[in-house]
Amino acid sequence: MRIIFVYISSFLLCLSINTAVAQKKKQIAIPTDTIPWVNGFTVQVDVASLVSSSLMNNGIYSSEGGIQLDLKHKFFPTYEIGAAGASKVSADNINFKTNGFFQRIGVDFNLRKKKPDSKPTNNLFVAGLRLGASNFNYNVTNVTIPENYWNASTTFDYPSQNTTRIWYEIVIGVQVEVIHNFYMGWNIRNKNLISKEVLGQVSPWYIPGFGLNNGANWGFNYTLGYHFWPQKKMLKNRKVFPLTKK
Amino acid sequence: MKKIIFIVLTFSILLNFSCATDDTCIQTKYVKLTVNFYLANPTDTIISNRIKVMSVDSLSVQGLRFDSITGLYQLVDSILYNNQKRVSTIDLPLNNQINIKRSTFKIRFNTIVDTMTVFHSNINDYLSLECGCIITHAIDTVITTNHFIDSARINIHDVNTINAENIRLYFDSAKIKINKSTTINANNIRLHK
Repeated sequence: MRIIFVYISSFLLCLSINTAVAQKKKQIAIPTDTIPWVNGFTVQVDVASLVSSSLMNNGIYSSEGGIQLDLKHKFFPTYEIGAAGASKVSADNINFKTNGFFQRIGVDFNLRKKKPDSKPTNNLFVAGLRLGASNFNYNVTNVTIPENYWNASTTFDYPSQNTTRIWYEIVIGVQVEVIHNFYMGWNIRNKNLISKEVLGQVSPWYIPGFGLNNGANWGFNYTLGYHFWPQKKMLKNRKVFPLTKK
Repeated sequence: MKKIIFIVLTFSILLNFSCATDDTCIQTKYVKLTVNFYLANPTDTIISNRIKVMSVDSLSVQGLRFDSITGLYQLVDSILYNNQKRVSTIDLPLNNQINIKRSTFKIRFNTIVDTMTVFHSNINDYLSLECGCIITHAIDTVITTNHFIDSARINIHDVNTINAENIRLYFDSAKIKINKSTTINANNIRLHK
């Protein structure tokens, strides 16, 4: 009888210890709030615009880069800046030329949900929004109006035109950490102009950062980035994950 | 391996990605002054019969260029309407030159000749790089001689690519009756109900 009691009590004791260890393990394995608010920032350069500018001989060039802050690995406030320009001669020999800078500000959201048993990863599947703006100068020259009846053909120039255009972008894309802290990613953007055309104004053919002045455009970025994370070393040195207070 | 597939796939997307631009203009650029003909019969007892759309036969229209040095009008070489039949509306080009503020037309109704002078301003309207620019006009005044034409009225001042009735030319029914009975041949005037 005593032996049975010892067996049962030792079994229960083991069971309780195991449960406690398991609970403790569970607590350590799934820390609910281990990711700090600021996780460094990524400096990115868009390769797609550089490649397309050099490969496509269409008189359009563009280059851009950006900086992306990592907040809790969920929100990525982004600031992008670039320079773009176009030189175009139409079928009627009208010349259009522009050079200008553009800026975009916005935020990306990480859509990738972390599974409890998955390995920690820095790869992202993001969707986001941008608000873009560009103030730029452009020239439209050699605008000929043929008039055959009165023999009154006229040619006009519209030099030093200045305008500001604002647009928004819906962005979707991925980012992968290919080597330690080196990121590669692409995104597709749907761009829509907010600024309305002013009646009678000489409208630009190309808007830096937006593309052709069509009202809506598609864009593609292929980014290379380096992630700077000053606090990472500090976090790595910590042996135990911080636990949430109940 | 997944990373290599990702890189290859994205580069292939990048290479296929191209922005094709269409250089053809799909907008209409034809700016015309539209003039309609009306028969005025103010004494008619039925009100609806007092103004009626009218078409004329043997209509010829030609531009007259004003020479500021000599102070005389010269006929433009090409003819806009040459002995045209059953005409109730005419489309005329106004002079595009910036310093020219009037366009004059010689309108011949069979053998009777009238002139119509349109005073207008010219406005540059840039459409796009593909379409270029057009010159639209704003009519200020219209004056006519009154051999066959009774009067003229501006209906819509803006002359642009929109198909609109800009000027109404009225013909007096009494004058037509006189012309019919005398030397002027105005037999082929038709009235539209």
